[in-house]
Amino acid sequence: MTVATAFKDAPATAPQSGARLLVSTLERLGVEVVFGYPGGAIMPVYDALTGSSLKHILVRHEQGAAFAADAWARATGKVGVCMATSGPGATNLITGIANAMMDSVPMVCITGNVSTAVMGTDAFQEIDILGVTLPIVKHSWIVRNPADVPAVIEEAFHIARSGRPGPVLVDLPKDVQVGMTSDPFGFPIPNTVPELDRTAIANAEALIRQSERPLLYVGGGVKIAGATEALRALAERTGIPVVSTLNALGSVRTDAHGYLGMLGMHGTRAANEAVQESDLLIVLGARFDDRATGKLAEFAPLARVVHFDVDPAEVGKLRRTHVPVIGDLKAGIEALNPGPLAIQPWAGRCIENAATHAYRYDAPGEGVYAPALLNELSLQAGDSFIAACDVGQHQMWVAQHCAFTRPEAHLTSGGLGAMGYGLPAGMGAKLAQPDAHVVTVSGDGSFMMNIQELATLRRYGIALKIVLLDNSSLGLVRQWQELFFEQNYSEVDLSDNPDFVVVAQAFGIEAFRVDARDQVSDGIARLLAAPGPCLMHVLIDPKENVWPLVPPGKNNAEMMHGDSRFEGDM
Amino acid sequence: MSDTIHIQIDRADGSLQRLIGLVERRGFHIDGMSLSDEGQTRRVQIKVRGRDAGRCMENLGRQIDKLVGATRVSRPVAAFASDYRTEVAA
Repeated sequence: MTVATAFKDAPATAPQSGARLLVSTLERLGVEVVFGYPGGAIMPVYDALTGSSLKHILVRHEQGAAFAADAWARATGKVGVCMATSGPGATNLITGIANAMMDSVPMVCITGNVSTAVMGTDAFQEIDILGVTLPIVKHSWIVRNPADVPAVIEEAFHIARSGRPGPVLVDLPKDVQVGMTSDPFGFPIPNTVPELDRTAIANAEALIRQSERPLLYVGGGVKIAGATEALRALAERTGIPVVSTLNALGSVRTDAHGYLGMLGMHGTRAANEAVQESDLLIVLGARFDDRATGKLAEFAPLARVVHFDVDPAEVGKLRRTHVPVIGDLKAGIEALNPGPLAIQPWAGRCIENAATHAYRYDAPGEGVYAPALLNELSLQAGDSFIAACDVGQHQMWVAQHCAFTRPEAHLTSGGLGAMGYGLPAGMGAKLAQPDAHVVTVSGDGSFMMNIQELATLRRYGIALKIVLLDNSSLGLVRQWQELFFEQNYSEVDLSDNPDFVVVAQAFGIEAFRVDARDQVSDGIARLLAAPGPCLMHVLIDPKENVWPLVPPGKNNAEMMHGDSRFEGDM
Repeated sequence: MSDTIHIQIDRADGSLQRLIGLVERRGFHIDGMSLSDEGQTRRVQIKVRGRDAGRCMENLGRQIDKLVGATRVSRPVAAFASDYRTEVAA
């Protein structure tokens, strides 16, 4: 297409190195930010970076680079870019690559490698990173000729963002980085927008018209496809109630009429009961993840399934589908118009159930009540709020209790569940949306996994705000040990944590502590108003659990409600 | 019960590994395999068997279809549309 043509028509140029071609190709593709960390086998690329228009963010661990690039991609809808050297640099990216794969995030990872002549000889810092990452990338390349660099990079971006997005890896041996070429060529980007399947849409509409209890089951694909407005319009014109997966939170405003909340293990009672009673699930860009379905054989036992997805392999993978609609989700949702539906009794009952079981924030006591704090945080931050979560109890509390008005407002490691995501993800998101209130919500376990990135915040003055909910333990594991392992608490005590306020201050980050409920509102206001990066260290009750909970392997109707403070009348 | 899949794959770094890894990772045994040279591409024939009753051959096919630089030749992608059972009561 245009890129390839531009290259073909360009006059013969002076010879350039592969590294220089990499940098110029990234510039031409409109890349703004690259997260990375240099090392021996990628030094020619770092040499070529000086004087480039690319903004390179030097992280303090390659995992931070991958997570930050992932969050940049989620917050902008563009492709995130990270780079690392060979060997340990490349292997440190792995958790971040897996994270992007599990949540379908477009990301291009560039690794240096030893020269092709010594590849396969166990050279210093040589790792077969292409082999190591095969199961967790959408595609990958070893570039063996400097002239191939532009074509491979262009194809890498195309594959990363097309169809169902995902991470790709480009491995650049050192001799290819330094090798000179005057004959680079581009990659003709194929135009592969599939035709909308009108028959499938008509079949879906017919099933919806027959249904008495239809339900929209919304997944992360809606946001990825840019179909948020289309979904909201669909919900509006049909009046069909909506449940959301973790990764889709915000696709429908959490205060929207007809929105029943998140389904699944830590979902709302209204959402889970609606799924179990529904006679037709309209699945939009979701994949029947086990955290959403609970015991699969007993999930939505009365429902037929209409499944919209861009990935044909997701249809029928776990649940029999009656009508598959394969293709672009936005076009599919926009085309779906079943006409007037007589579902008011059902929709009304669902909405009433949601109101009856709405979360309450009037828990007794003087200690900080994390759900209430998170709810207030999101309300104080308003429409520009972005939560970058870590993984654990706090992640579930964010999902349950924060108000979201847009899908970009909730960045979470959904599929992989990678502790350590929050801080670098918040960093990437704040760089992507500098005017937004970006808040990393972390726990004392997760925070220590990438705490080194406080130095990156400081270096670049990234005004990320951090809420560190500290229960001096690995809370979610402790909760499971309490409930499912006869209170045999094994290796979950973190009561010897460092003083996080002092740690943050040592990094040059403003920090303060909140340890009583009456300090919460002022603390949030101070945090959000801080001009630079700021950490609010919040002490919470180590015995606090996440409710409600569907025990692992149980069906979603078997919800445990351990603490009546968390729900309304039952 | 085993099934044989015919695939044409690009001669690229990791392409064979990618294919075999996918088949095994998705829960299938490889009972037999042959490989032949076709210039720029290679023809691979794999005899596969699910590890348990829950493994769906059709889904494996669709996963293979997603590999970049791999094309199933035994059952082209387009033919798969007819595999979906569309049920709409009259």
